[in-house]
Amino acid sequence: MLTVNAKKRFADAGRSGSSIEISFEAGNGFTVVLGPSGSGKSTTLKMIAGIIRPDSGLIKLGDRVFFDSYTGTDLAIKDRRVGFVFQDYALFPHLSAEKNIAFGIKGSDARSKAETSLSLLTLFHIEHVRHRLPAEMSGGEQQRVAVARALASDPSIVLLDEPLSAVDQEMRSRLLDEIVAAQNRSNIPFIYVTHNISEAERLGGNRIILADPNEPGRIEA
Amino acid sequence: MTIATIVVAVVGLSFAYLLARYDFFGKELLDALLTMPLVLPPTVTGYYLIVLLGRRGLLGSPIYDLTGWSFAFTWQGAVIAAVVVALPIMIKASRASIESVGRNFEDASYTLGKGRLETFFRITLPLAKRGVIAGIVLSSARALGEFGATLMLAGNIPGKTQTMPLAIYEAVSTGADIRASLLAVILTVVSVTAVYLTNKMTRARIY
Repeated sequence: MLTVNAKKRFADAGRSGSSIEISFEAGNGFTVVLGPSGSGKSTTLKMIAGIIRPDSGLIKLGDRVFFDSYTGTDLAIKDRRVGFVFQDYALFPHLSAEKNIAFGIKGSDARSKAETSLSLLTLFHIEHVRHRLPAEMSGGEQQRVAVARALASDPSIVLLDEPLSAVDQEMRSRLLDEIVAAQNRSNIPFIYVTHNISEAERLGGNRIILADPNEPGRIEA
Repeated sequence: MTIATIVVAVVGLSFAYLLARYDFFGKELLDALLTMPLVLPPTVTGYYLIVLLGRRGLLGSPIYDLTGWSFAFTWQGAVIAAVVVALPIMIKASRASIESVGRNFEDASYTLGKGRLETFFRITLPLAKRGVIAGIVLSSARALGEFGATLMLAGNIPGKTQTMPLAIYEAVSTGADIRASLLAVILTVVSVTAVYLTNKMTRARIY
């Protein structure tokens, strides 16, 4: 069970002055975070991952406290074990698909890493891109590598930041099925951020709706 | 020269990463201070080095009292002079290329369980390598051509603190024209090669 109760004032220009206050719980399965751009969806995910530090509040996963402003706890990103699928994928441009996926696999045995990496590529039907660099892959292939890489690090939660916003409609529904299947296999919380209502409907699960940034703080769960 | 290049590469890269990725009080002041030798006349930089490290310098005097040794007129002094003068070039080139690496890549590495050091060597450095290599090539060429600051702190002792430009100066003033022109040609070839390689590299695609 993920518990989020966090407050953050935006510092970037354009949104400065407004703030987000978000409070929800998410169990195993999908939790979809919906809202217009600028409403703080990405910020929410980045606060859970530890990339952005909340001003105050509490974030914990089970009994592992990620952030607690009361006790001054702020767990390092690398120790949170979150699988993060970035909106632009953030695949390492100098590493092949296989090496991107192997990057987050624990242990030091290069051979078993390569095997795990290959089995994930096979699972996502993209073993043919094994030795290709991200720049040599299609958008859908990059997207699958990004999801595979996030799962390879043995995460205890997966955070997806508009993971299908860069692929076309037909590809989107196929990839959505694969993400649902991945969740079913791992049975951990998947927090899925999108502004696309039909994606949200396909995923089911809990839904959190973030309001317009100009009316700060209103959240309906 | 070799020692100066290694020192410049390691120290310069550390400062470049610090300036590119962290916000702290006095950051731009530190950058300005480190860049100063790029615009100051080398003799002025050398003068400050004497004030700091000379036998009666702020740091040099306690060192001399303790060990009976001073940077002045030693090869170590020549290395310090070359490092201080070449450092800004290394910092400028590598800071810019580190800043151009998207933070998303580093964040992705952290979420995959890697710490700062491993992320720097496996992600940031490979992606910034063009600027870093350019910085090393140009700053070592600059160190090779050091004249003013070296003369001030380390003097002009053949085989010990004499750099090539100092040898050229001496050759011209003693009328050894052939020696002077030979050395000048060597330095020119090295400099042109360094700039040519840097230009070629910064344009080439590496992945």
